Amino acid sequence: MNLRFLEWIWHVRGSVALASDASRDAVFDKLDPVFRQTGTSFDRVGDTLVFRKRDQAAQDKMSVFDEGVLTLEQRASGPVLRYDLVSRALLYCFLAPLLFLAVAQLTILLSAHQKAVAEAAEKAGTAPKKPEKKVFPLNPIDQALGAPAPEPPKKKGKDKKADDAKLPSPTPAYVFAGIFAVLYVVGRILEDRLVNALFRKRVSAA
Amino acid sequence: MTGTRVGNRVIGAQAPVTVGWENIPKVEGGPVKQFVFTWFQPAMLFALIAFWYYAPNSIAKASTAVAIGIGFKALLLVLEWVNPRFDSWRLTWKEAATDLFYVAIGYTMLRLLDGYIGDDVMIDYVQKALHWDKFAWFMTLPLLVQAILISVLFDFGQYWMHRGMHNWYPLWVTHAPHHYITQLNINKGAVGNPVELFLIGLGIGGFFDFLPRAALLAGTFGLAVSVYQHINVRFNTPRWWRFLFNTTEHHSVHHSQDFEASRSNYSGTWIIIDRLFGTCVDGEAELLGMEGGRRMSIRETMVYPFAEVGKSLKHRMGRRTSEEQPIAVPAE
Repeated sequence: MNLRFLEWIWHVRGSVALASDASRDAVFDKLDPVFRQTGTSFDRVGDTLVFRKRDQAAQDKMSVFDEGVLTLEQRASGPVLRYDLVSRALLYCFLAPLLFLAVAQLTILLSAHQKAVAEAAEKAGTAPKKPEKKVFPLNPIDQALGAPAPEPPKKKGKDKKADDAKLPSPTPAYVFAGIFAVLYVVGRILEDRLVNALFRKRVSAA
Repeated sequence: MTGTRVGNRVIGAQAPVTVGWENIPKVEGGPVKQFVFTWFQPAMLFALIAFWYYAPNSIAKASTAVAIGIGFKALLLVLEWVNPRFDSWRLTWKEAATDLFYVAIGYTMLRLLDGYIGDDVMIDYVQKALHWDKFAWFMTLPLLVQAILISVLFDFGQYWMHRGMHNWYPLWVTHAPHHYITQLNINKGAVGNPVELFLIGLGIGGFFDFLPRAALLAGTFGLAVSVYQHINVRFNTPRWWRFLFNTTEHHSVHHSQDFEASRSNYSGTWIIIDRLFGTCVDGEAELLGMEGGRRMSIRETMVYPFAEVGKSLKHRMGRRTSEEQPIAVPAE
């Protein structure tokens, strides 16, 4: 299957313009500290640098990337550093909404099942009887301090609504699906810009 | 590294730990910043207690508590950005996304599971089997007494569960992934293997009948005190607060790379429980984690307890290779 059209989801690609007189070794030497991080291994062969990361430190400036290739190229406009970086974190964040949508569907199924079981038990008269709630007045100290008194127990008709509220709700799963969708968009744009700025800063350093 | 003697123990012999409040840096900046970061914690606690104490019944609901919880955490994220305790704990996109994944699991899948095998289900079973009623007399106590008792009772259980996790191998393998976090941020409390998160959430509060308002007030201690366990904010925490309550300072010691330091400060809210049982160490640490600060991936966090138990069994049965040796050394 050709994933070329989907690769933008977890690939961050870009380029940084280099000074016209920049030598290959000088550029890679300037980038060297970026790859001297815990869990990072890299190889330089000719105009190409290939790196791989594992268990990246939280504060590693490229912690979001797991592997990548940096290449020095000569273009009509001058030399450039081209990069193609792979991020599993971005891919998983992209897929997370699907996971939580599936969880929401599972919650709906389980909720419907629980409701059906409870209704069947009620019809058959085997539903466990709920103990009657005793009503206690507020402690005199709370009365003196003006705390609102607790509500009296609700009537039967309203109890049904309260029972429904106890069933598992899919709302949190929908909310998190939305949060991860937004988070993906933020991360895809932010990490793209941050890594470009990082490379630009390193190669232009004196 | 020589470390510092605290009682019978030497703290900070393996990794740097600052021991003693007098050695902890203060908030830097002008008088307004000093004022805000000195009084923020108590002001929020008392404001939330007053809110839940006096809010009309139509507002004093669980949904309001959820909304306040989300808003408060968003505010704390801003504080992390404005006044971080350590720059080396700054929240990055990846850290934020990872932490949120664990939070999401807690709110969805774990909650779903909890409905079938959680503490309320177990307590309901015990009550029916033994024909027990709920302890309704609890409701006659003043609201704040109810709230503090609920909070202390839960934390007392959590203290022993947590201490057990650091002292008994089968529990430790569930808790160890949480100790691979290398920095403290507001949602780091949710990071860990789901088995651990299930175990640490067990409590005996379900045996008691209490007013809903008391439960909301008790939840305030969780929101406005124990939330500061995992936060990257420099506060000038008042003396009475740090004597009574757990703080980010205490919890950073607990997460230190120093083994002895990590065996302290087990409570979630009431550090006074640690003081009573001799496990409290007042101080702070910046270098956190296990294995020299290796960050554990989500995948490894999910399988770690099972993989470690598998390795351990193989090891005991003599079928081992050097790679398969268990790394979760029992904490005893």
